Order: sequence, then structure tokens, then C-alpha cells
Amino acid sequence: MKMKDRRIRDGVQRGQPFDILVDGEKIPAYEGETIGAVLLAAGRRTLRYTNKGERPRGLYCGIGLCQECRMVINGIPNTQACRTLATPGCTVEIQQSNRKRGG
Amino acid sequence: MAESDFVVVGGGPGGIAAAIEAARAGVNVTLLDENERPGGQIYRQLEKGFRVTDSAALGNDYEKGLQLLRQFSSLDDRIRYWNNTQVWGIFKDRTLALARNGTSSSLGFKKLLLATGAYDRPVPFPGWTLPGVFTAGGAQRLVKTDRVLPGERILLAGTGPLQFVLAQQILKAGGGIAAILEAGDLSKNWLQGVKGIWGNWGYLKEGWGYLRQIRKAGVPLLRRHIILEARGQDRVREAVIAAVDENWRSRPGTERVVTVDAVCLGYGLVPSVELTLLAGCEHEYDLGLGGYVPVRNEDMETTVKDIYAVGDGAGVAGSRVALYEGRIAGLSVARSLGCISDSDARKHSKPFRRSLSRSTRFRKVLDQISMPRPGLSELAKHDTVICRCEEVTFGEIQEALAQDTAHIKDLKRMARVGMGSCQGRMCGPAIIEIMRHRANAAPGGPGSLLPRPPIKPTALRILAGLDPDE
Repeated sequence: MKMKDRRIRDGVQRGQPFDILVDGEKIPAYEGETIGAVLLAAGRRTLRYTNKGERPRGLYCGIGLCQECRMVINGIPNTQACRTLATPGCTVEIQQSNRKRGG
Repeated sequence: MAESDFVVVGGGPGGIAAAIEAARAGVNVTLLDENERPGGQIYRQLEKGFRVTDSAALGNDYEKGLQLLRQFSSLDDRIRYWNNTQVWGIFKDRTLALARNGTSSSLGFKKLLLATGAYDRPVPFPGWTLPGVFTAGGAQRLVKTDRVLPGERILLAGTGPLQFVLAQQILKAGGGIAAILEAGDLSKNWLQGVKGIWGNWGYLKEGWGYLRQIRKAGVPLLRRHIILEARGQDRVREAVIAAVDENWRSRPGTERVVTVDAVCLGYGLVPSVELTLLAGCEHEYDLGLGGYVPVRNEDMETTVKDIYAVGDGAGVAGSRVALYEGRIAGLSVARSLGCISDSDARKHSKPFRRSLSRSTRFRKVLDQISMPRPGLSELAKHDTVICRCEEVTFGEIQEALAQDTAHIKDLKRMARVGMGSCQGRMCGPAIIEIMRHRANAAPGGPGSLLPRPPIKPTALRILAGLDPDE
């Protein structure tokens, strides 16, 4: 099945295509895209689960303020997906609650 | 320690305009920008990797921004531009603490201009934390520079012209909009405001053009409507909407359910005042300007000498006002540093002051439609999360408020609101409005959640890079 892609083709030409690994799964990305945009384009909304209620959260403010898009990127937790550019082969994990991460 | 005569914080229109005017007058400027490239949110440029093939597809602001940015880069012999630089502290001895290149350093200044911008007003209601619920500004960034649609059946809810800009951008990009909800009473107030709009035909024409495109696309524009609830397990799938009265309180019996896969919330903006608060500038509450804003004189100087503030971060009024204020402040800085004469400064800033007062009149007309009404602070239910970081619910906040808490700093201690990683940027504005409408509200308002350095999450290894002997 072909995956849905929400990328807008109009007005721009994208850079080099490559894959990133999201919880072990290959997701297509292009140079210049943030991790948050890559996941959204692939139809993935949940980026982390909260500590207390273990509730799903996704992109919200999109400009680096709300801290809702914190993910484990290249092994570093609490990295903002909306401010981090995707790079070839980078690994991304949905950030689980502190309890589930053994924190 | 490094030093600069004039340090500008923020690479949006206000900061850039100030840097341009000061540099033209002969001032050496350092502009600190937390982003990769100058432009701020409104003139945000595409990341490396993207190639623009049709700039018209990216909207009017994109092209306007390019002109300003060209002027800015042509002055690079006088303006030092530091990108990816986070100002995380400001200290009494005219020193900023910066995170840059993976380490910390300090930078001294003679004059400082804060042009820190604004962000979407957070409005808590049941389901607002669900994935798929975005701020209008966040959605705009996704569409404009990431070139990704936030969904396929998008609901826009909020008030004011920015919603229409976003709607037009989504439509242009081929996205589907379920409906646009405007909480205010657009038509009536527009007519009332004709006098204030006089001389602002540029704005009006633009807004009118957007409305026409929205109508042409067959998107329902529901005036005096609001979103009450976002529903779904793992993501938003439905929205409950309703008609509202003039106080934005829902009219019983008008609720209905709309199928959506994304919601964009645009209830106006709130200024980013963390640095003016940290600098000890006096603030006053002006809901029309978005909340607590620094008190300034006509040269845009705050109550702390040599610290200026311009643009949305000093009171939300849009990019044109930011440009005029930036130019006025830049000229004033050049004058007080002795680079231009009093009379030249006065002469050069005169047209900007005139444009500024015209724009201010126009803004006040828009306020009549878009200023948050009390009903907006009454949407949260007992178990609605208000503080996203610490997951503090409205019920828990009410409990703390019942103990006669009149100041937000007391509430912070009692309920942990604003103690998470966003430092109260998301819950603060909503809580201030909730507290302001209580019977026992403090006469001067509840005050702000005072930020502490580092004002944004900063890794310890970066903080540790600051040399205390510098």
C-alpha cells in the first residue's frame, strides 16, 4: 500500500531524498525538512507521551516554545522535533513517559 | 568579554529594521537570532535543501520579506549576524548570556533592543492537547516553509485576520478546510471601524482578497462560532462547535459535531516578554496588545535605560508596526550613540511615526472584533489540562485559587503551573485571563510568571561552557 503523503509540491523543489528511522521503521524525508514535518507528512501525529497521564502529544506551537514535540533523536531525549532537521539515517523514537523510560 | 555597541535580539521585521537604520547611520550592530536564517516567523525562509520555484505560491509576505532581507544583508560590513543563537539570560551589568555553537558565552552591550516576537494565544478547552490540534502559527509554518499540510479536513477556529491568511495558504496548497470559525462579529464591527481604517487600504484590500478566495472555494465561514471540544483517542477526529454571544459564551442548543483530522487555533498572539521581564522593565496589562507588555517611551525605550523593545514582543500589532517601531528605535539608538544629529534623527523618523500612528488606529479597530472575550476563559472543564508541561488541570487550579490566591506567583508555588519546560509560556496567558475575571482579582492584575535563566531549556553541557571569570 502506498503511504499517504501530505507534502505540498507547489512552489518548491525538494532537496535530496533519504530515509530516517522512526522506532525502527523507515520513513522518507528530504533535506531541509524538520523531523516534525517528516512525521506529519507520513501521517504520524503522536511524538511523545506525557509523564503523569501518559497521554499522547504532537506538534502544537511549531515554533520551538511549547516543548510538546520532544522526542528521542539520535539517542538524545527531549529534543524538539519542530526545530531539528532530518538527516540521512538519523534515528527517532517516540518519547515515552519517564516511568516507561525507567527514569 | 565580547562587547557590542548595539545588540539586537530577534531576527524578525522589528529587529531587522532597527539593525538596518542603526547600521546606515554608522552604528556597529550585532543581531542575535535563534533561527538558522533571518526573517522571524513572518518572513521565515525555507531551509537549505528546498529550492523556491514559484515564490508567488509562498504568499505575499514571503516576497516582501525578501526585499527587507536583501537590505539587511547588504549592510553586512556593519551588522554582525549570529544565527542559531539563544539568549538565555540578561544581567544587570549590561551583559547577555548566550548559547551558541554548543557552548555559552557572554556579550556586553551599550544599547540593547529586544524584538522577541509573539506566539499564538493558548486557549485551553477539552481536547486541546490532542495530537492534530495545532496553533495557527504552527500550522502556518508547516504550510509555508515545511510545505506540509497539517491535515486533510482542517478546522480553523479563532479570530482575526491571521486565520484568513492561513486559510488562504492552505487552500492555495490544495488542502481541505472543513470550516473557519470566527468568534467575533466580523461584519458589524468592520462597519463601525471604517473611521479607524481610513488610510489603511493596503491592509483592507489584502484581507478582502483572502475572504473572496475563501468564499470561492466554498469553505463555510461561521461568524460568532467557537470550538468547545476536540475529541479522539490518539488524535483529533471530531470537533464540537457552537454559536456564541457577544461575550463568546456558547449559546445552548447550537452545538454540533464536525468530522476533522486537524484543528488550527488562532485566537490572536501573546507577546514574548521573557527578556523584558528578566531585564526588570516595568510592564502593564493591555489585552488589546496581547497581555503584559513593557512600558515604553516614544523612542521605544523601556523603563530600563538603554533597553529598547519593538514589534509584537512589545505589544502585538503585526509586522508593519514592527517595521516602523524598529526603524524609529534604530534611529534613536544611532542618535544617542552620537552617530547622527538630533535633527536628522527627528527628520528621518517622522514618516515612520506617522505610519505607526495610522497602523495603531487600524489595530484598535481589529481589537474590537478580536480581543479575547470572557467566554474564552470559561471553556476548560474540571479535568482539562491547563499547564501542558506539568499536566495541571483546571480543577487543581481552581482548588488553589479557592485559597485566596491573587497573584500568579503564589499559584505557581501551590499548583506547580508554569514550572515545566515551557516556563509558563503556554499556561501563563490563559491563567492570567482566568484570574483576571475572578471576583477577588488583584487590582493590578495577577502579575506574570517570572521567567528564570535559562529562559529556554538549555543543556547543562552548554551552560557549563560559560566562563565565570570572563
